Amino acid sequence: MLILGIESATSQVGCAIGGHEGVLASAHSARPRRHAESLAPQIEFIAEQAGIKLSEVGVVAVDVGPGLYTGLRVGITTGMALAHTLRIPMIGVSSLDLLAFPMAHTERTIVAAIDARRGEVFHASYRAVPGGVQRMTEPGVSAPADLRADIIADHDEVLLVGDGALRYHQEFENVTGVEVADAAVAFPSAASLVMLAHAKALREEFVRPDQIEPMYMRRPDAVAKWESA
Amino acid sequence: MSADRILGIETSCDETAAAVVSRGTDVMSSVVSSQIELHARYGGVVPEVASRAHVELLMPVVAQAVVEAGVEDREIEAVAATYGPGLVGALLVGVSAAKAMSMVWDVPFVAVNHLEAHLYASFLEEPDLEMPLVILLVSGGHTSLIVMEDHLRYRVLGSTVDDAAGEAFDKVARHLGLGYPGGPVIDALSVDGDPNAIHFPRAMAKDGWDFSFSGVKTSVVNHVRKNPDTAIPDLAASFQEAVVDVLIDKARRAAREVGAKGLCLGGGVAANSRLREKLLDVCVEDGFRAFLPSRAMCTDNAAMVAAAAWWRLEADGPSPLNIGADPSLRLPVH
Ligand SMILES: [Zn+2]
Repeated sequence: MLILGIESATSQVGCAIGGHEGVLASAHSARPRRHAESLAPQIEFIAEQAGIKLSEVGVVAVDVGPGLYTGLRVGITTGMALAHTLRIPMIGVSSLDLLAFPMAHTERTIVAAIDARRGEVFHASYRAVPGGVQRMTEPGVSAPADLRADIIADHDEVLLVGDGALRYHQEFENVTGVEVADAAVAFPSAASLVMLAHAKALREEFVRPDQIEPMYMRRPDAVAKWESA
Repeated sequence: MSADRILGIETSCDETAAAVVSRGTDVMSSVVSSQIELHARYGGVVPEVASRAHVELLMPVVAQAVVEAGVEDREIEAVAATYGPGLVGALLVGVSAAKAMSMVWDVPFVAVNHLEAHLYASFLEEPDLEMPLVILLVSGGHTSLIVMEDHLRYRVLGSTVDDAAGEAFDKVARHLGLGYPGGPVIDALSVDGDPNAIHFPRAMAKDGWDFSFSGVKTSVVNHVRKNPDTAIPDLAASFQEAVVDVLIDKARRAAREVGAKGLCLGGGVAANSRLREKLLDVCVEDGFRAFLPSRAMCTDNAAMVAAAAWWRLEADGPSPLNIGADPSLRLPVH
């Protein structure tokens, strides 16, 4: 079964096509905030490179966040419209899971941290298990200093990964036992998304396009203000 | 390039809409899901709330439009979406979905200017409108006086220098505690009020083609402060009269000056009953043809997007897939 993966939860955007034989083609743009401009041409490009028609795709996988709202919406809407029009199911994967997934070789606790802007990071903890990683905490949103305090309190050897970890590296570098993963793995990749979605597809963890929900993690300011008034 | 049946998508503000229109005139379906209730408690459209709602609502609305049109997917020959002006996060939802569908169906994608779409709303109900036309486009987001010389050829004579006309209605209604959106409430209250009870200023009435509505709003606020006992219907009617007077005066002058064949209204404020009444009066007096689209075609909808797309596709061909949203897009002028 061919999977089209769309990844747009951070400032970058990418997509990939693959299946049980691995990733057939992928595209990636690191130029920030060009999600809407880049994504559709990228999808056309990778379909051509993989030598397939979109009608051959069997599942659309999307990164459902948490991440940058505008990017998320571009990727999720594109994915929903593709799946709806092709009449095929979807698979939603969290951006934090995507960051932790390639770190499965480590024996440390993996903490994925994505830049949430406004001086905060989205984060979750994982540990390596046979065949992948397992999430140990619910995704949260915190100030880097609070995440640092949690890490110190847990006394674990930690591998911190993500653009949130990079942006606030000074906050974490001097904590004993903490290693910050480098920039090459700081953004979720569409290729990882396809591989992770493939594992989920084998377990038939499909959803309908209308069941895909972005993980915003925060209410809009106006709503928060109104509800606390 | 030509395509008979176009699926249009509109998500520039707080309406999630989809429609199927044949040859730019025949509306096969038009579905609008309004978010007014979502935004009412905030007294205006909250961009982040609107964007989130568009993501949830768009595909069900598109599905309904296709079903109501009674067409198969493969009978849709192009997919169009508004790409500006509007709220950037909201626009991107429609643009992204339209591109995706156009790729799957292997049909052209057409990026549509929302203002141009409003102008084409008139042609959906009256395909043979003669040009040049003077169009008064008034809503919560826009206030423009436009001359349409021929299809896809416009001149913008003037725009608002501060608040849009609909925005002034909303702000005055909010100040008087009348709720949101302000236009319909003030319109309804004015029926029982005296439009000449208070004389509010007609800003920039005689000079140029631009509009200004923030002064009249301030005058209402000041009047209420000094005269707290003024009857609300009189206030509403007098305020409405001041806004309508300026709009009508300029539209009439413009129509005379360019030798227009007709005068046309568009945008949400075009539903205002006093504005419609006065426009008709003026047209009868001066011998212009008046065209007042139905309320459904004045407010944001996707049929007008599909209609404008039909003309654009014929003239310019498909839009490139690397187009983004342009929140401050203007009308293309010649
Ligand atoms: Zn509009």
